[in-house]
Amino acid sequence: MANKKAFGKLKGREAMVLGIIAAMVILFSVLSSTFRTYPTLVSVLDISYYITLMALGVTFPLITGGVDLSIGTGLVSYALIGGFLIVHQGVPVGVGILACIGIGVLVGVFNGVLIAVMDLPPFLATLCTCMITRGLGPALCGGFGVSWPSAISADGAFRNVFKFTSDSGTVIPIGIVFMIVLVGIMSFVLEHTRVGRYTIAIGSNKEATRLAGVNVKFYHMLAYIISGLFAGLAGVAYAATYATIYPGSGAGFELDAIGGAIVGGVSASGGVGSIVGAFLGVFVICLMKVGLPFIGLQANWQQIFTGIVLIAAVLIDVIKKKK
Amino acid sequence: MKVEKIKQNTLVKKVGFNRIVLIFVMLLMYLIFGGLTGGSFFGISRITDTLNYAYFLGFLSLGVTFVIATGGIDFSIGPVMFCCALVSGYSLMTYGVPMAVSLIMSILIGVLFGAFNGYLVAYWKIPPFIVSMASMNIAKGIAAVFTKTQSVSWPQSTAADGWYRNFVNMNGIPVGLIVFGTVAVICAVILNKTKWGRYILCLGSNEEAVRLSGVNVKKWKMLAYIICGTLVGIASIYFVAAYTTVQPGYGDQYNNEAIAGCVMGGTSMVGGLASISGTVIGVFIISLLQQGILALGFTKEYQYIITGLIVIAAVYSDVSARRRKN
Amino acid sequence: MGDIILTMKDIDKSFPGVHALDHVDLEVRKGEVLALMGENGAGKSTLMKVLTGIYKKDSGTITYEGKEVEFKNTREAQEAGIVIVHQELNMLGHLSVAQNLFIGREFRKGIRIDDKKMNEEAKKLFDRLNVDIDPTETMSNLTVGKQQMCEIAKAVSFDAKVIIFDEPSAALTESEIEEMFKIIRDLKKKDIAMVYISHRMDEIKVITDRVTVMRDGTYVGTLITEECSKEDIINMMVGRVIYEDPKTESAVPKDAPVVLKVEHLNAGKMVQDVSFELRKGEILGFSGLMGAGRTETARALFGADPKESGDIYVNGKKVTINNPQDAVNCGIGYLSEDRKRYGIVVQKTVAENTTMASVNDFMKGIFIDKKKEKEIADKYVEALATKTPDVEQLVVNLSGGNQQKVVIAKWLTRNSDILIFDEPTRGIDVGAKNEIYKLMNKLVAEGKSIIMISSEMTEILRMSDRIVVMCEGKKTGEIDISEAKQENIMNLATREIE
Repeated sequence: MANKKAFGKLKGREAMVLGIIAAMVILFSVLSSTFRTYPTLVSVLDISYYITLMALGVTFPLITGGVDLSIGTGLVSYALIGGFLIVHQGVPVGVGILACIGIGVLVGVFNGVLIAVMDLPPFLATLCTCMITRGLGPALCGGFGVSWPSAISADGAFRNVFKFTSDSGTVIPIGIVFMIVLVGIMSFVLEHTRVGRYTIAIGSNKEATRLAGVNVKFYHMLAYIISGLFAGLAGVAYAATYATIYPGSGAGFELDAIGGAIVGGVSASGGVGSIVGAFLGVFVICLMKVGLPFIGLQANWQQIFTGIVLIAAVLIDVIKKKK
Repeated sequence: MKVEKIKQNTLVKKVGFNRIVLIFVMLLMYLIFGGLTGGSFFGISRITDTLNYAYFLGFLSLGVTFVIATGGIDFSIGPVMFCCALVSGYSLMTYGVPMAVSLIMSILIGVLFGAFNGYLVAYWKIPPFIVSMASMNIAKGIAAVFTKTQSVSWPQSTAADGWYRNFVNMNGIPVGLIVFGTVAVICAVILNKTKWGRYILCLGSNEEAVRLSGVNVKKWKMLAYIICGTLVGIASIYFVAAYTTVQPGYGDQYNNEAIAGCVMGGTSMVGGLASISGTVIGVFIISLLQQGILALGFTKEYQYIITGLIVIAAVYSDVSARRRKN
Repeated sequence: MGDIILTMKDIDKSFPGVHALDHVDLEVRKGEVLALMGENGAGKSTLMKVLTGIYKKDSGTITYEGKEVEFKNTREAQEAGIVIVHQELNMLGHLSVAQNLFIGREFRKGIRIDDKKMNEEAKKLFDRLNVDIDPTETMSNLTVGKQQMCEIAKAVSFDAKVIIFDEPSAALTESEIEEMFKIIRDLKKKDIAMVYISHRMDEIKVITDRVTVMRDGTYVGTLITEECSKEDIINMMVGRVIYEDPKTESAVPKDAPVVLKVEHLNAGKMVQDVSFELRKGEILGFSGLMGAGRTETARALFGADPKESGDIYVNGKKVTINNPQDAVNCGIGYLSEDRKRYGIVVQKTVAENTTMASVNDFMKGIFIDKKKEKEIADKYVEALATKTPDVEQLVVNLSGGNQQKVVIAKWLTRNSDILIFDEPTRGIDVGAKNEIYKLMNKLVAEGKSIIMISSEMTEILRMSDRIVVMCEGKKTGEIDISEAKQENIMNLATREIE
């Protein structure tokens, strides 16, 4: 491989995360007999789609040494607007989906301009867009919840992309296949294209990258555009998996994705990270989300645990660096 | 040397000038909102609303000023404020904890979160935005678990325990304004006249140089977060004293508004430069704005959007001012 | 000597308040190494930045290969064949060596980056230059020397016709410098023109053909290296001879009490089993090449970096120093080579910086006694002759030498008896240098003791009473000033260690 040492390290991290996932599955299965059933698997996967998509995107800003906090409220807002167009304006579903993704990209461009061109601190800039997108959806759509067409309706085909229900009623979570394909594509982008190479380079040493003649502003911006694009896709996935989208929700979603990415070995200070790692890290979060209620901890414990896991993941890196 | 001297004087003048402009903006906003609402904005009830909003937001903003002065950030303050109010309020209403104890509890929870954040940032060097993100969710989680996701209503003024509401307004005396003013003065004194402030500002400017002067920078950095936490605790008291009801799962929007007040007032995002008086003016502008937006008939969504844009503008002017200087 | 490849004529460049380049001329020929010399701030780096398009010139012409050119950025300059090897390394620590070499111009197959081909090309390049570096190694795992080689290799890989070396040897060990010289000689044979910026007189003599000297943003003149002496160059640089007589004898009595004793100090690779003593009223010079571990020793002693083992005695008493606080409490003060990062808080006032290490002594109840603070700051501004309009001035507005004085004032206010000066005159102009020297002599006369780390031989010989020499993390010798000569110090500094 091109970069043996760094690659080797990540492989270790990925193996570790896989081990954690296995341990969690075993733990939950032993403690709860209802956990080890097919519906649980389906619900873990359901929850994983939009988080995975967010994580794939936000990995790029994270590797540049920044962060995108606007993805959580963003995806809800995009899905809200898309759904509003479909349900209340009679726009075809395809156009609604494109609108959802398109607004995500636009917000990504906005973030990119703030950070790469105007030089604002990423966490502050995206904290602002987080609030703006949170207000944007309800402001445009009147503050009501929106339900995208259901799976059984004529326009509901898009839902089958994620969860295919056969005639006999069996549910096949084929969304995971698309996720794996996307993980493959984004891995390729990160490791074998200029976009990925320069994303890492910016996170490693922005000034040196600029001096090498790379259009740093463009690639720095692109990282946020990718993040926005995937937030848009996550909006579609969210709309497809859940019945109704409520305005004002979505705050805190970004933590699941960013936490997942960081658990999976993406460095909070930039320069290091892998898509596969982020993908696996997301599953740690999702298992926790779904699994904790099975062992008698109500859903809100998950929030506390996610926070603790995030800090623990960064602490591990800090302690490793000290050695 | 002479040239440099003059340069500095104009800079000092400029900072003062900025504040004058801010006050002017504030008055102008007040007049415009008054005009647009046909004078109803000048009514006593709007003034009370604005002040009530300014109190708790002001404490948050004062707190985060200390953190930003160290070059850090804390955007867990809103949810933590709610966590304080919810946990102590739930204890008060459900477990029969005395009012005075509940109030102290509110502040203590704030202090604990501040210490937690500060410890992780200062002693373990975890990036502040990660810590903020984590503790924001931990605060929300704890509040939700503790209250079983139910909102908490603190006692009304007429209830036996209603005396705490006097902190805001006692028989028409704006106690809140007096307390807020006093706390702001204390903050300004701490920041400008004491060792605490000296070290917090200096380490925000150049942490390594301060450390190599034999100063325990970790301790002072953590202290900034603890001061912030304390003020967040006080903010939670003012929130319930003004509005009585708190709902778990919220509070995010106040992060932005508090940071907006702070940055607008001239506190620099890279640390080392902070102004309490600026923060106070900034907070009043933000509060006026929020009330004005509502008075004009817009929903809170527009508050989010407008505050977001304001923070961007304020931070950008800070960034570009620094760029010009270099 | 070859034909002229590059001519810069009448180059003028101003920054707000500074006339950085005042009608400077420069001429480079094919296959030669041209030394570009001058004091700090003489305008060498600025000139090179104008050449490679980092700065835009105000006036003047650049003629390259017979055509007038003006590059908009480094990339255009690179494409034309003018490449700069920077003083501060421009590496991307997280990427591999090959990825670093070809950053911004990766080989591609479609949209895929062809890492395999990049590795092969890198290997070829290293083979051609006779350096042994694995192209797939992660950059941050290489030594500073190897990283420098990568920078040079990168420059060569651009098919450069002109390579500019901006103080390339600053971070290299002796053997690495030798290796670099081999490459430079090789490049010379290939008719490549090189501009070599350095302060090291000995290197200039060894590797360059001509010397162009600049002073205060002006062109002074050009000499043929073989035909001129060190003194000639230095005279042109400063306009007068700065060589002062070295100290011949220590003024410190033999029985002066030992104020600081360090035994078997270990801290990583750079500090291995270092022991020494410091006497009252003494200036103990620490000599050695860059990367010899002197700064690391000082930082470990001061508690700025963690140490593995070692005993420290202050005034005969064993002390524990785990962090700078402990050291300061023992009466030790550290003046870093990098003042802006480690010495002062530039956005604060002279007064605030003066009391930085001793705020506790300036308290009136819970408040800082600003009047008392101002008094002490005023006192030291006067005593050290710091040039500042008043003590409320922000330190950022002071010159390097005056900033150094503020740092000294900080430790004097703290009443530190043991002062560690790490490169006390780096980045300070000649006049201010002498003032700092005078000040140091005054301090030891008053009973303070000084450890002085310096890379300038003249400084070491002029100031020290005794000299400790380090090499590759080990103490290799200790010489009394009466026996010290450049030769025996150099010898110890470059001694091979088995």
